[in-house]
Amino acid sequence: MKRWIAMLLASLLLPTSLSAAPVRIGSKQFTESVILGEIARLAARQADIPVTHQRELGGTSILWSALEHGDIDAYPEYTGTLTHELLKNVPPDADIPTLRAALRPLGIGITDSLGFDDTYAIGMSEDRASQLGIARISDLAQHPALRFGFSNEFMDRTDGWPGLRQRYALPQMQVRGLDHALSYRALASHVIDAIDLYSTDAEIPYYHLRVLEDDKHYFPHYEAVFLYRLALEKDAPAFLDVLKKLSGRIDEEAMRHMNALVKLHGEKETAVAANFLGVPPDVDGAGLASRLLQRTLEHLKLVLISLIAAVLLAVPLGVFSARSKRLGHVIMAASGVLQTIPSLAMFVFMIPFFGIGTWPAIAALFLYSLLPIVRNTYAGLVGIPPDLRESAAALGLPRGVRLRRVELPMAMRSILAGVKTAAVINVGTATLGALIGAGGYGQPIVTGIRLDDIGLILEGAVPAAVLALLVQGVFEGVERWLTPRGMRIEARD
Amino acid sequence: MPNPSNGSPEAFELDHVSKRYDGVMAVDEVSLNFPAGSTTALIGSSGSGKSTLLRLLLGLEWPDQGQVKVDGRPLENGRVLELRRRVGYVIQDGGLFPHLTALGNLALLPHHLGWSRERIRERAEELAALTHLPQGVLQRYPAELSGGQRQRVALMRGLMLNPDALLLDEPLGALDPIVRHELQDELKHIFEQLGKTVIVVTHDIAEAAWFADRIVLMRHGKVVQDGRLEDLRRHPAEPFVTQFVEAQRTLRESSP
Repeated sequence: MKRWIAMLLASLLLPTSLSAAPVRIGSKQFTESVILGEIARLAARQADIPVTHQRELGGTSILWSALEHGDIDAYPEYTGTLTHELLKNVPPDADIPTLRAALRPLGIGITDSLGFDDTYAIGMSEDRASQLGIARISDLAQHPALRFGFSNEFMDRTDGWPGLRQRYALPQMQVRGLDHALSYRALASHVIDAIDLYSTDAEIPYYHLRVLEDDKHYFPHYEAVFLYRLALEKDAPAFLDVLKKLSGRIDEEAMRHMNALVKLHGEKETAVAANFLGVPPDVDGAGLASRLLQRTLEHLKLVLISLIAAVLLAVPLGVFSARSKRLGHVIMAASGVLQTIPSLAMFVFMIPFFGIGTWPAIAALFLYSLLPIVRNTYAGLVGIPPDLRESAAALGLPRGVRLRRVELPMAMRSILAGVKTAAVINVGTATLGALIGAGGYGQPIVTGIRLDDIGLILEGAVPAAVLALLVQGVFEGVERWLTPRGMRIEARD
Repeated sequence: MPNPSNGSPEAFELDHVSKRYDGVMAVDEVSLNFPAGSTTALIGSSGSGKSTLLRLLLGLEWPDQGQVKVDGRPLENGRVLELRRRVGYVIQDGGLFPHLTALGNLALLPHHLGWSRERIRERAEELAALTHLPQGVLQRYPAELSGGQRQRVALMRGLMLNPDALLLDEPLGALDPIVRHELQDELKHIFEQLGKTVIVVTHDIAEAAWFADRIVLMRHGKVVQDGRLEDLRRHPAEPFVTQFVEAQRTLRESSP
């Protein structure tokens, strides 16, 4: 029995490290990264190497930590991100050999440049820029009323907005964070005046943007490379050969063209990557119904496992809280603090413990479910009239029997309401699981936001809303079924 | 008719017992004896400490000072479960659990002690006859019962294990006068029939005199007078006794 439990625990805790078979490529949540991931996957497949590609795993921190922990084997990255974000103690203009030496002690390898430099730049609409006479970033200092909309990552990173503002002494106060995919639209509809962009963005010609000259050479080089685990040198040398052969093959023009095909012409990343390599694309067999079914199963798995685990822990915690006032304060405060952690951060926090994929998402949802259930269990129990509690004691029933036969049944309605709240919140929050590779209804939403494809967003959002309503309905039935009949009728006098 | 009692009736004793709530003396140095098989009425205005006194006897509260003795032995934590099973306790609203039917309420403790379904049902029917509970009421939930029925079921719950003592805390306090009158007759009849140690708390002196020869009058946590109604009338220990007796206009001629 103990061995079974140990094995079960192990399979829960180490979901990925047990299966060594295929090489796992990851990509960030933007089109270029997904295309590069697909190019690597298709090139490896061409060489008969078993390989999987976990697309759109959120931002740099998720990919980097997944690589460090061995949850993925390789992902496309940029040298500027390494020098400014990921590595301490390297000069900002470090070249690739320097980076290679700095990465080696971490067990991470780096390819040579894939052939293009995708650096940050600041862009304005051509009309507005010429009207104000702005051609260089330093010209922006003369126009303090301009409104900036920057991607959230650019807002935060040291080589992003904070450093840029300092270098150019920019006075603008109206600066807000936006999703990168939405910022072009915001610019086109004149809600903002300037945005950050990548030099390979497909939208630059499409939206008639002027890329401002970085006259003080603030932005570092962002040579595209692949990072990989050095363990691959032993485990999958053939894959490394494939990866290294990609070096120098993709120039800025080719990358911008591929980005445009996906973002502006609605082609699939796989097709674009296959076309670039001159190999046949995968057969894209899954129709809407089977996609929906798979995502529903993934989503239900996230919600149900986390919810069941939460009930098993939170109900006892609620019972303890009701028993001891002091312990109750501690438990309630702790689960309250958990609730205040922003959802995406919570998902990312789980990666060091659970890797990427389903389990960190379940762990995050589990933690979110605790508070409503603990609080409602507590409220249900302390809400029992004292004379009834005392009547049970006066009968001569032991504590445990009183709890099971009298107190919990009387608190059942409140407990179930807490579980229902947790379940409905979970259905919504679980959509974020897609950012750490958990799949579910969040997957089309994430892709849809990236590609600015409303249809795709709805493909995830509508089923999620329907599921939330269903959960609500099911729980109302369960409530009626589990609430003792005597608790539902009003007293006669 | 009810089974003969398992053991001898319970004797309770309070020895200089004090109990304080938030600095207020609820019970103040009370010493009282409740001999086995006796019936006693505890009386006083609300807040006089009479309910607390009952709860001390069951180990639902523990004294700050002094000692509670049951059958001559001090009451300890290890004894309370066993003691409570030998004592029936009935409170003002009955204290029935709303999520269980009347029968479910009766069955709770016997079921835990391993009684068969049959035995529980038989005992319930026996007690229904004793308390004049109408047929079919046992299947209903407390919210579907009248006040009088609720008190009858509560009394039955207290009597299920055929206890040696009955402690009743304002058992008729929430009932209308007619039902109350009817139940007073029945309760007195039941007390006489069962021969148990009975302590009944009430604030109505007529009811107290109807149930018991011995009346203990309490005020501010202290015993003011302990005796028969006659003694309280003729030889009041202090003016408050007369005041309390006179204030009750419903005193019946039939009472001793």
